[in-house]
Order: sequence, then structure tokens, then C-alpha cells
Amino acid sequence: MRKHSCKIEAIEVEKVFSADSEDEVHALGPLNLQVQDGEFVCLVGPSGCGKSTFLRIVAGLLNPTTGRVDIGINPENPTPISMVFQDYGIYPWKTVEGNIRFGLEISGISKSRTKEVADHWLERMDLTAFASSYPDTLSGGMRQRVAIARALAVEPEILLMDEPFAALDAQLRQLLQDELLTIWQKEQRTVLFVTHSLEEAIVLGDRVIVMSSRPGKIVLDQKVPFERPRSPELRAQSDFNEFKNELWLCLKGEVEHYLERVNSVEGKIGSNNEG
Amino acid sequence: MKGEAQTDRDLLSRVPTLADTNPRKYNKRRRLIETFLAVGVPGSLIALWQLGFHYEWIDNRFYASPWEIVSSKKLREAELWSEIWTSVQRMLKGFFAGSLLGVLLGVLMGVSRLLRAALDSLLTALYTVPKLALIPVFVTLFGFGDLPRIALIAVTVFFFVWISTMSAIMGVEDGYREAALSFGANKWQIFRHVLFPGALPQIFVGLRIAAGVAVLMLIGVELVLASDGLGALIEKGRTLFLPELTYVGIAISALLGLTFTYLVRILGRVLVPWAPEDQTPNQN
Ligand SMILES: Nc1ncnc2c1ncn2[C@@H]1O[C@H](COP(=O)(O)OP(=O)(O)OP(=O)(O)O)[C@@H](O)[C@H]1O
Ligand SMILES: [Mg+2]
Repeated sequence: MRKHSCKIEAIEVEKVFSADSEDEVHALGPLNLQVQDGEFVCLVGPSGCGKSTFLRIVAGLLNPTTGRVDIGINPENPTPISMVFQDYGIYPWKTVEGNIRFGLEISGISKSRTKEVADHWLERMDLTAFASSYPDTLSGGMRQRVAIARALAVEPEILLMDEPFAALDAQLRQLLQDELLTIWQKEQRTVLFVTHSLEEAIVLGDRVIVMSSRPGKIVLDQKVPFERPRSPELRAQSDFNEFKNELWLCLKGEVEHYLERVNSVEGKIGSNNEG
Repeated sequence: MKGEAQTDRDLLSRVPTLADTNPRKYNKRRRLIETFLAVGVPGSLIALWQLGFHYEWIDNRFYASPWEIVSSKKLREAELWSEIWTSVQRMLKGFFAGSLLGVLLGVLMGVSRLLRAALDSLLTALYTVPKLALIPVFVTLFGFGDLPRIALIAVTVFFFVWISTMSAIMGVEDGYREAALSFGANKWQIFRHVLFPGALPQIFVGLRIAAGVAVLMLIGVELVLASDGLGALIEKGRTLFLPELTYVGIAISALLGLTFTYLVRILGRVLVPWAPEDQTPNQN
């Protein structure tokens, strides 16, 4: 096996979706990206630019159409990669505890150890009182904590997070961001984190990657200049906002491009309706 | 209308109702009303039926009154109960065999495209064949004992359970499957943790329908192809010109269907605790 200098290396990755060869969607790339071991990388970009698609390729749920992604893992780890999905993906037929245990059960870890780990995460995510509730009876924030606990409980080397906090209110979002930072700073996993919020990307990431509108390519790959450990107060600093504006200028162009396309489609629909 | 609105203030108030302030009392009352309706509606229909006899709107040479059915001497004969038992056994055997096969093949075809391609149109074609038309074939295949009767019930049940199981398995959302894949789950684990529990509520819908269908089929088969059991009883009533007997048979098979469907529903509720059964919103 080739020795990897980095944890994740994407080389000329492209993804084209085609139901039939007639209407193809060029969703992603070509994209080149290197992520070092233990790095926290945030991906931002306009809607539909292929962020989720890229994460799914890394997770092994999709294959690239061209190019490759190499991932260096410890072969003894039963669950080297885990993912927190955009829409939670937790199971309505499992209790909170059952959901958290899920990844552990899949990897065949002993019952007693599973129980221990699950209890730990229940407590850490403040869900102990709801251990035997079904997700249907939980709030959105609680469900998201279940999804995060489920992904972290298996101690993955690489954690893929697809807009995990998007559906949460500002306070809860900040709370979970801080919790994630604490966990990450303690355990130093490699994280690929997709978000629509630049602020979130800067608070959490070592690097922020701005992607173009579809097909998503990297238009900016910027190291975040703030020291760790970062405190929540960082958000109020003036250089934080300066950095954020700098990124926004770059992202703005792409979002405008995206909006133009949406509007032109709407224009077409409008004119069709008239005609 | 407009004039009325003006006397009211423009105020929309959301206030607690009894359901919110005293849920226990509310639920008790609701259950009472529901039970009353569940018993009352069929009860009044039966009463109407009885009245029809009393006032001779209905010809009692051809039809039996509820009272005649309930007070029938037949009901106190041990023979009747052995007929019922015969029928129940046939139905249960047929139902279990049919639903077991149905779930099994439904699951296999739900997960395997190839198997679907191979069997889907064949089974769909067979599905539409009226099963009673197959009696001669089944008798040739299984002889004259109970086996062809049970097999006919099983086959009918099979198709209902097979279709609902297959579509339930295919209908489990991709996101759930992907989440399991992302944790490295193998095929069996995906089935055990995701596909099967995800499909279970829908499978139980199929089983409930099949439970009713099993009773239908039971009576149908016994009418044509048996000298004992409820269907034969009904037929005997007709040929011997004893409407009472026929109606006793019909009433009992209706009750049998009711009980059996209900039992399957209870089983479903126990096995699918995450899906609240009654999801109609409270409307006052
Ligand atoms: N299974 C699929 N089949 C066909 N097209 C797909 C499929 N999945 C994604 N796409 C298309 O690929 C493009 C990128 O989708 P993707 O979900 O990766 O976007 P995204 O960047 O995550 O967007 P968002 O920020 O809105 O979540 C979209 O145009 C989408 O329509
Ligand atoms: Mg997405």
C-alpha cells in the first residue's frame, strides 16, 4: 500500500449523475483537496454545489465518476469513518439509546463495552433522561444530539458532518459548536464539516474551503488565523469579522452566480406560464 | 355574518381544553364515547333487524332474526363448537403458512433486484387468478384431506403479505440505508437494523388485510370443498332449508374475522411500539 502523507486526498474528483444519458447533472469537480491527519476542514458553498456529494464519496456511499479519493486509515479500526447526515438519519424504530448503540453494534464491540460507551454519550449529550424514548417524541435539537452521539460513539478517525447544526436555533447551535470543539480538541479526529454559515466555519475550522456553484470546484482554500483553543468570545473580535468579510466576498460571487441561475430558471417557468 | 364579527373583538385565543387540563378525564370520556359507538352502531342495526321481524317487514321463511340466531339450539350443541374449532385450525394453519412464505419472499424480492426481475410478473399474474378456480388443481396436488383447503387459504394470504412486504422493504428510505452503510454495516446488519424494522409497520398492514382475507377464503373453501367447518354448516343450512343454521354460521364467521383481525392488530401494536397507531389529531 502506498504510504499516505495525508489523511484524505482527493485527486481530480468529479461526479456526474445520470439517470439516463439524456439529462446529466455535473454535480462536482474536478476537485483536488488534501486534508492532514487531525485537521478540521470546513466546506462552504452555494446550495447544490456538490458538498454533500463529496462527503458521500468520502464516506464510500457513492463512487466518483472520475478521479479518486485516497483515505489513510488504521486497518484495525472497525469504523474508521462515520457521518452525521444533513437530515439526521437516526432511526425512528430505535430508542435514543438504541440509536447511539447502533454503530457499536455494527462493529461487533462487546455488549458491556457498548453499554459503557452508550451511557457515556447519553450523559455527555444530556440525553440520559430520554434514553428509552423514541426519536418521534424528541425536539429537533435533541435528535441532532443523538445523531452526533451516534457518530462519535464509534470513535472514528474521520468524522464527516453535513450541515449538522443547520436546523437548530442560534443558542443551541452555539452550544453544540462549543461541545464539538471541546470534543475535537481533546480527541483530535480529522473532521470534514459542511456548513452554510461562514461564522460556524471560522469558529470551528483549521481551514475553510469555499466551493464554486455547481459543478463545485475549490475557489478558495484559506487557513483560519485564530489560535486554539478558541473560545466562544472569538465571534465578537474585530479581526474575526474582517476574516469573515474576506471569505464572504469570495463566496458572494458564487452565491450570486447560483441565484442568477435559479432566477433564470424561474423566469423561464414564468414565461412558460404566460405562453 | 359580518355584523356578528363586529360584536366580537378581533382576538384569536388559544386556550386549554379538557384534553389539555385533564387528559385523564378526557381520555376516559373519549374511550367511553368510542366504545359506545363501536357497540352502539352494530347494536342498533341488529335491533333494527330484529324489529323488521317483529313487524314482519322481513320474510321469516327465508331469513333468520338475530334472536333466532342467538337462541338457536345449534349454539348449545357440542358439535357446533367442534365445527368452529375445525375451521379455526384450518384458518390459522393457512394464515401462518401463507404469511410466513409471504414475508420471506417479500423480503427476498424487496432486497434483490434480480429476484424481482425473475418473479415479479409471474407472481403478479398468479395473484389475479381467482383461487377458488384452482380447487381441482389443489385437490389433484394435495389429495382429499385438509391439505388442499389449508393450501388454498395459505396461497391467498401469501399474495397479500408478499405484495405489502415487498413494497414495504423497497419503500424504506434510502437515507436510513445510507446511514447504516456509513457505519460499515453488512447486508445482514442492514436488513436486521434498518430494512426489517423500517418495513414492519407496513408489513403489519398487509397482515391485517390478510387476516380478514383468510376468513373469507376459509368460508369459501369450506362451502365448496368440505363436509365440516363453518362453511359446510352454512351450506347445510341452505340445502336443508334451515336459514337459522346458515345465519348462525355467517354470524360466527363474522365474529371470527373480527376477533382474528383484532388479534393481529394487537400483535402489531406490541411489535411496532415506535409507530403510534392512532394518529388522527384531536379534534374537538
Ligand atoms: N442521487 C442523485 N441523483 C441525481 N442528482 C443528484 C443526486 N444527488 C445529488 N444530485 C445533484 O447533484 C447536485 C449536488 O448535490 P449535493 O446534494 O451534493 O449539493 P449540496 O452542495 O450538498 O447542496 P445543499 O447545500 O443544498 O445541501 C445537485 O444539483 C443535485 O441535484
Ligand atoms: Mg447538502
